[in-house]
Amino acid sequence: MSPVVSTDNALLEVEDLRVAFAVGGREVRAVDGVTYKVEAGRTLAIIGESGSGKTVGCRAIMGLLPTGTEISGSARLRGTELIGLSDGQLRKHRGSEMAMVFQDPARSLNPTMRVGKQITEAITTHRKVSKSDARDQAIELLRLVRIPAPERRFHEYPHQLSGGMRQRVVIAMALACRPKLLIADEATTALDVTTQAQIMELLLELQQELDMALIFISHDLGLAASYADEVVVMYAGKIVEQAPAKRLFGAGGTVKMRYTRALLDAIPHLERPAHTDLPVVTGRPPDPTMLPVGCSFAPRCPSAADDCTAKAPALTEHAPGHRWACWHPCENGGTA
Amino acid sequence: MAAQLPDMAATLTPDAQQPLPSLVSSRRLKWQKTARALRLWVPAGFLLLLLFLCFVWPYIYSIPPGNSGSILDASEPPFSPGHWLGTDPNGVDLFSMLVYGGQVSFEISLAVTAFGAIVGGTIGLTAGYFGGWTDSVLSRIVDVLIAFPALVLVLAVAEVLQPSETHLIWALSFFSVPVFARITRGSVLTIRTLPFITAARLTGTSNRKIIFKHVLPNVLPSVVTFSLLGIGLIVILEGAVDFLGLGIQIPQPSWGAMIAKGQNVLTAEPQYVLIPSIVLLIFVMSLNLLGDALRERWGVR
Amino acid sequence: MTAPVNNTAPADDQAPAGYTGDARTGKKPLLSARDLVQEFIAREAGGARGGVVQAVSGVSFDIMPGETLGIVGETGSGKSTLARAVLQAPRPKSGSVVFRDMELTRLHGRALLHARRDMQFVWQDPFGSLDPKWQVRSIVEEPLAAHSVGTRASRHKRAEELLDLVGLDPARYAKRHPREMSGGQAQRVAIARAVALEPSLLICDEAVSSLDVLIQAQVLNLFERLRRELNLSYLFIAHDLALVKQVSDRVAVMYLGKFCEVGPGESVYRQPLHPYTKALLDSIPSTEPGAARTTATLRGEPPSPVNPPSGCRFRTRCPRAADRCASEVPEPRELAPGHLVACHFPLTGPAPAESAATVVSGTGVSAPGVSGMPSTAKVQG
Repeated sequence: MSPVVSTDNALLEVEDLRVAFAVGGREVRAVDGVTYKVEAGRTLAIIGESGSGKTVGCRAIMGLLPTGTEISGSARLRGTELIGLSDGQLRKHRGSEMAMVFQDPARSLNPTMRVGKQITEAITTHRKVSKSDARDQAIELLRLVRIPAPERRFHEYPHQLSGGMRQRVVIAMALACRPKLLIADEATTALDVTTQAQIMELLLELQQELDMALIFISHDLGLAASYADEVVVMYAGKIVEQAPAKRLFGAGGTVKMRYTRALLDAIPHLERPAHTDLPVVTGRPPDPTMLPVGCSFAPRCPSAADDCTAKAPALTEHAPGHRWACWHPCENGGTA
Repeated sequence: MAAQLPDMAATLTPDAQQPLPSLVSSRRLKWQKTARALRLWVPAGFLLLLLFLCFVWPYIYSIPPGNSGSILDASEPPFSPGHWLGTDPNGVDLFSMLVYGGQVSFEISLAVTAFGAIVGGTIGLTAGYFGGWTDSVLSRIVDVLIAFPALVLVLAVAEVLQPSETHLIWALSFFSVPVFARITRGSVLTIRTLPFITAARLTGTSNRKIIFKHVLPNVLPSVVTFSLLGIGLIVILEGAVDFLGLGIQIPQPSWGAMIAKGQNVLTAEPQYVLIPSIVLLIFVMSLNLLGDALRERWGVR
Repeated sequence: MTAPVNNTAPADDQAPAGYTGDARTGKKPLLSARDLVQEFIAREAGGARGGVVQAVSGVSFDIMPGETLGIVGETGSGKSTLARAVLQAPRPKSGSVVFRDMELTRLHGRALLHARRDMQFVWQDPFGSLDPKWQVRSIVEEPLAAHSVGTRASRHKRAEELLDLVGLDPARYAKRHPREMSGGQAQRVAIARAVALEPSLLICDEAVSSLDVLIQAQVLNLFERLRRELNLSYLFIAHDLALVKQVSDRVAVMYLGKFCEVGPGESVYRQPLHPYTKALLDSIPSTEPGAARTTATLRGEPPSPVNPPSGCRFRTRCPRAADRCASEVPEPRELAPGHLVACHFPLTGPAPAESAATVVSGTGVSAPGVSGMPSTAKVQG
């Protein structure tokens, strides 16, 4: 891991990002005030369940949300404000400065176009290179993502490749112009666990080689623990806990939020004996059109009290590098 | 009780957060709701109005006959007393022609579509659900019917049998039945792959029950929205046939015949073409827009 | 190592020793599958006929009453096809499925329906398995109606009891439609329907995979509670090994149509005998950061199911593969109590000697990604 970098070196700075949609005459608050920083060469994991706003937030930064979405707040990439830019202006940044990889590689690739052509297209969008130069660069990219026999693969169609290979091609396309920030949105969720491990390894190696910042979005805390430097946990559109991975997980981990604790406990662990009940939190995430006044997790939280439903706690740095938003956080990492 | 905060960097007590204000303007939200309702009720309203005028109005308020008139009233312009849309060169009231012609158009298009939906729908349902040989045989029959040019058949009918409303209905059904069969079959094929059908079969529900209680209710939305489109198409087709003089014969009025007759005086007295054309346009557009709005509500793809 | 004689196997049964699970003397298996084979025609892009895929190639297992057998496998392993073959929907190409002493592969129509009454299925997609136009109560009642159990009134009552059983308040949910519910609630409805006829075996095909983590835990606890209260047996299929181990007594690891390893969950986890099982275990990201993250020991890409590798199907990705693996199909052998593995060089012994320089060539494999990569020797065990 790179040495401790001062926060002045932040590659991406997101401040009070808010995203809302109008659906069926009601306002859906998908992202409700999110603030975080990512430094060059570091890995941030954004963890949350569906509806937490983790994907919408990053799509807002990339400008990939449909027109009519209300976005406010700030997202600065190397000092350049991204929120509010037109699609044409954002296109200049997309690909060359920041890129995104999505969940389903089959959907991200055009099934009727050869793989090599799709990569060269990604290259020529941002750089003026000759056709043969683009082809050479594309083959280099295929090599970079560790696809064997890249010259042969260049001419193949997506359906001739396995899921893992397709995802590598998508990553190659994303890296075509050496972006400084790569966002992987559930990029390994659709893959087998063995392939997932390979792809995550690849992403980390590429991050080192290209000195990129990596944000990966997932619902899998295990991935965050194994591969991230910093973890952000989101619930109902807000960040509820943020800390370096080492601080949260493993022996001596200090998880402060009940929600994070619940997530950790609810995952089946290999060490746990069979046929035991998993510790559960009842209920469901709140309706994004009717967020409660107080803490969004209070209706489900085992340690909720009156002050929790009255006022929502702010995300504050209570310990160095560790922020949480709770009136009654866990003690001792919450292992009850 | 509040947990003990580590006394390291926490110089501030965590602030209470007020809920953030709305990002989306309430005006926009209200408009979304009204727009959605309008999309359904405006076309529905127009259709109901047309139906009312054609089927209810003549019986509560006497209007001049649509197939005869006195020469004394020939070529009255619109807004004349007693003939608010005017009359044609023979003195026949234009509004009455629209009303009675509309009756015929509605009856024919409804009958053809209903016949197509019932017969064609049954064929499509059977072919799609049972598959195998049943599907192959039925689909080939449907293919043959679709290949048949509807207009040629209508010409043949006009030649051999006297053109009448009933004969026109038979001829046009030749066209609607296979189209409905295709649509229904496609819809059933999609539904059949869904797990709940397999679940019903595994549970032991009989085929009959599955078709009527599971498949049909799920196929109905797409059939209904397509029917609306179909009615519009048939009305246009029927109008074309009348226009060619092969359908409804004068003196019985019809929209197509009105347009045909008005061609000759298009530049001098355009209202004879314009008025029935506009009514036809409103009718078909309302059907299509209503179909779209229903599709939106029922989630048909 | 000779397999110990397992005296729980019925005398006339040719089951390989050990398949009848732990020593439960005198009990007959609830479900007994032998040499199941299922094929289907692979379609090329565009619908043209490709080759024939043998999704399940000779799978045998038993499930004892009250036992949960978990099957874990990745994409292309054939686990879902296996589940459907057990159900006879569609029928397996060959093999036998004996459920409560009835040979399902030879039954048809009414008889099959009657035999299958005690075996129910829960799908992965909770919304796909429920008719969107039906009310929840009707959905749960459907099996009762189909088998003409009781009167309409008694069926209504039973449906409400079932909803209560799965944790849904009948007063609030009985008249709702699936689209008005969340994924977890819809899956509970599917489970209520599945237990309506009081089955003895529940087959769950990725039943919790599409649910969020917290909801998943709730539904898993529900499965556990039903297991205790209704004395259910389960055939639980998933791609998540930790999940499968959590709910199962015994775990089977499946690769490309065959079982590599079968055994008690703890045994498979603590002492994986098959290299694929070990690779699966190593690939699971753990919530212990800084714990030595074993680099992925699996090379290459999954081979094409149309043309599986000769001999051991796993050999093209196995770090321990040798010549014998290409020529001879490994048969399952019992190496620990109740724990079988199909491998020539299981992880109890050393890797084949010449591993350092062996090039595993993909003979006859028209597989994407499998080129002649030299095996980087990672000696296991």
